[in-house]
Amino acid sequence: MTTTLTSPAPEVVDFLTAGIARFTRQDPAAIRPDSALVDLGLQSIDAVLLSGEVEDHFGIELDPATIFEHDTLASFASDITARLKAR
Amino acid sequence: MSSWYLGLSTSGHDPALALVDAAGRVVFAEATERFLQDKRAWGVVPDHVPHLASALAAVGARPGDRIVPATSWASVKADLGLKVHDALLPATDTLWMQGLQARMQHSAGAALLRLGYARESPEPMRFDHHLCHAVAACHFTPLEEAACLVIDGEGDVGAVSHFRLAGRRLARGWRSWGPGSLGTFYGWLTGLCGFDWREGEEWKVMGLAACGRADPALVETLTGLLAVDHGRLRFADEAAIAAIRAAVAPLARTPGAPVTDAADLAAAGQAAYAFWADQVLAAIAEDGPALILSGGCALNSSYNGTIAGRTGFESVFVPPCPADDGNAIGAALLAWMTDTGATRIPFGGGSAFLGSAPRAKTLETARHTAAAGHAVTDLAGRSAEAAAGLLARGRILGVMRGRAEFGPRALGNRSILADPRPGDMKDAINARVKGREPYRPFAPVLAEADLAEWFERPQPSPYMSMTLPWRHGVRDRVPAVVHDDGTGRVQTVGPDSAPWMADLVAAFGHKTGVPVVLNTSFNIMGKPILHSVEDALGMLATTGLDAVLIEDILIEKPVPS
Repeated sequence: MTTTLTSPAPEVVDFLTAGIARFTRQDPAAIRPDSALVDLGLQSIDAVLLSGEVEDHFGIELDPATIFEHDTLASFASDITARLKAR
Repeated sequence: MSSWYLGLSTSGHDPALALVDAAGRVVFAEATERFLQDKRAWGVVPDHVPHLASALAAVGARPGDRIVPATSWASVKADLGLKVHDALLPATDTLWMQGLQARMQHSAGAALLRLGYARESPEPMRFDHHLCHAVAACHFTPLEEAACLVIDGEGDVGAVSHFRLAGRRLARGWRSWGPGSLGTFYGWLTGLCGFDWREGEEWKVMGLAACGRADPALVETLTGLLAVDHGRLRFADEAAIAAIRAAVAPLARTPGAPVTDAADLAAAGQAAYAFWADQVLAAIAEDGPALILSGGCALNSSYNGTIAGRTGFESVFVPPCPADDGNAIGAALLAWMTDTGATRIPFGGGSAFLGSAPRAKTLETARHTAAAGHAVTDLAGRSAEAAAGLLARGRILGVMRGRAEFGPRALGNRSILADPRPGDMKDAINARVKGREPYRPFAPVLAEADLAEWFERPQPSPYMSMTLPWRHGVRDRVPAVVHDDGTGRVQTVGPDSAPWMADLVAAFGHKTGVPVVLNTSFNIMGKPILHSVEDALGMLATTGLDAVLIEDILIEKPVPS
């Protein structure tokens, strides 16, 4: 699921960028929206924990498989943005 | 044509089924282990064909009726492909359980084909594991508003979920994601104490903890295993866990060593559990004053008994079936709610007596053909009074009356009862009937109205969910039900909730001056609570039980002269 139907909200991209930078211990400036999550070094355990942070921060409900359905940060961010709009 | 909602507990351990009728009433609920007489029934499908057939017959379902199946998990854990967390429990155990869960999720409802209730493979509804726990718990309480907390071994995403009940509608607050589980910790502790969590021996650790002393330094070491952040749990990193494991390894009990060798370790583990659970509760303190607690960890009656009045919550409600068997009820009710559009969780009246009744035909046969030498008496209308008399004369009595309890506790319908006054009664039951470790306590039953006279921190405990301190000065009167630390895991009864037991306790009080009765589950160690009339007569024949009361028929061994 890499097609972007909803353009990702900047606050979602910023939140994910900061989270991924923290989990992977790298400079947020090095993380691009079209970066592949795997290439950024995001382990599956980090992906799970990041999903929990997204639920807490944005008050939406994610399925545990959601993040694994997305290749890139932008794609995941679009999905979250769509869920935020659907509330 | 009637509609029925079939809830299936699909964890792979503790399978159970529940049936809800078209009006949203839970009309039947029973753990598979009871029907099969196989403790925990690991790996057995919750829609085991003969068991499901007997449940459908019990509620009066007929071929042609519509049956809507539902499972107690939204996801298949193994499909996520996550690396298994193996720092505490062995990875092999976790992989094994994931495989079982996948099988249960895939095959759920298939038995309806065999029984003629479906013409093609049913596609069950699937519900979030912790939501099932929460809905099942809410079904047993009349509360309209409360905090609802699930603390569990695991869940669809993590091991803790927070909900709020408002106007009997349940809304999710937050949930823990990723590894970090009080249930996993307790399973590991169980192994460290020389027991086996796969056998469900966490009970033994809780009981043993009361005999030990929690060394503060050891508690502090253990609490390094987990961090609690706003109620969310997270295991420490692998290196930290390895260091703690190495530090406590010398304290581990080998299975052959005396059980009491692990008492201090059990006490320290229980204290660590309380340290973390307190922090989880603190994260939802503003939801007070009423708390509904569910999930497997809600079976920790020692901790449960300390919550009210200490943590900001004034009352605590634990359902009779907080562990995964109870999720059969949650899944069935959620299926009914989804199908009918109902949003309020129905209150079921609070009765735990949702299982099978003794088979009348078998009982009638037993009545006429009981083995030579047994006295058979019909006590219709006076069985509580007569049972109290037997207990006062020192007899150990097995009772099988009405519908079985749903959940792990025997609450008087599938119980062994005795006099709590003799100092040697505990040893007598353990030696003659149960065959279990001598340190393990038995439960006191007393009238809710009498509770404050006997216990400190009195609060209702109709499902034996709370361990409370006995008042000083009364402990010597009921030594067989007082734990080493002066507590008792109490069951409170009233004329509405358990009329027969209330009558029996009152009659025993009149005869003896002590309105407290010893209650333990009707089984021998390692076996589930019994299921059939044949099981009850088998236990009478093969143990030191003095008599069994099945419905109102008393079958007694000859009294030694």
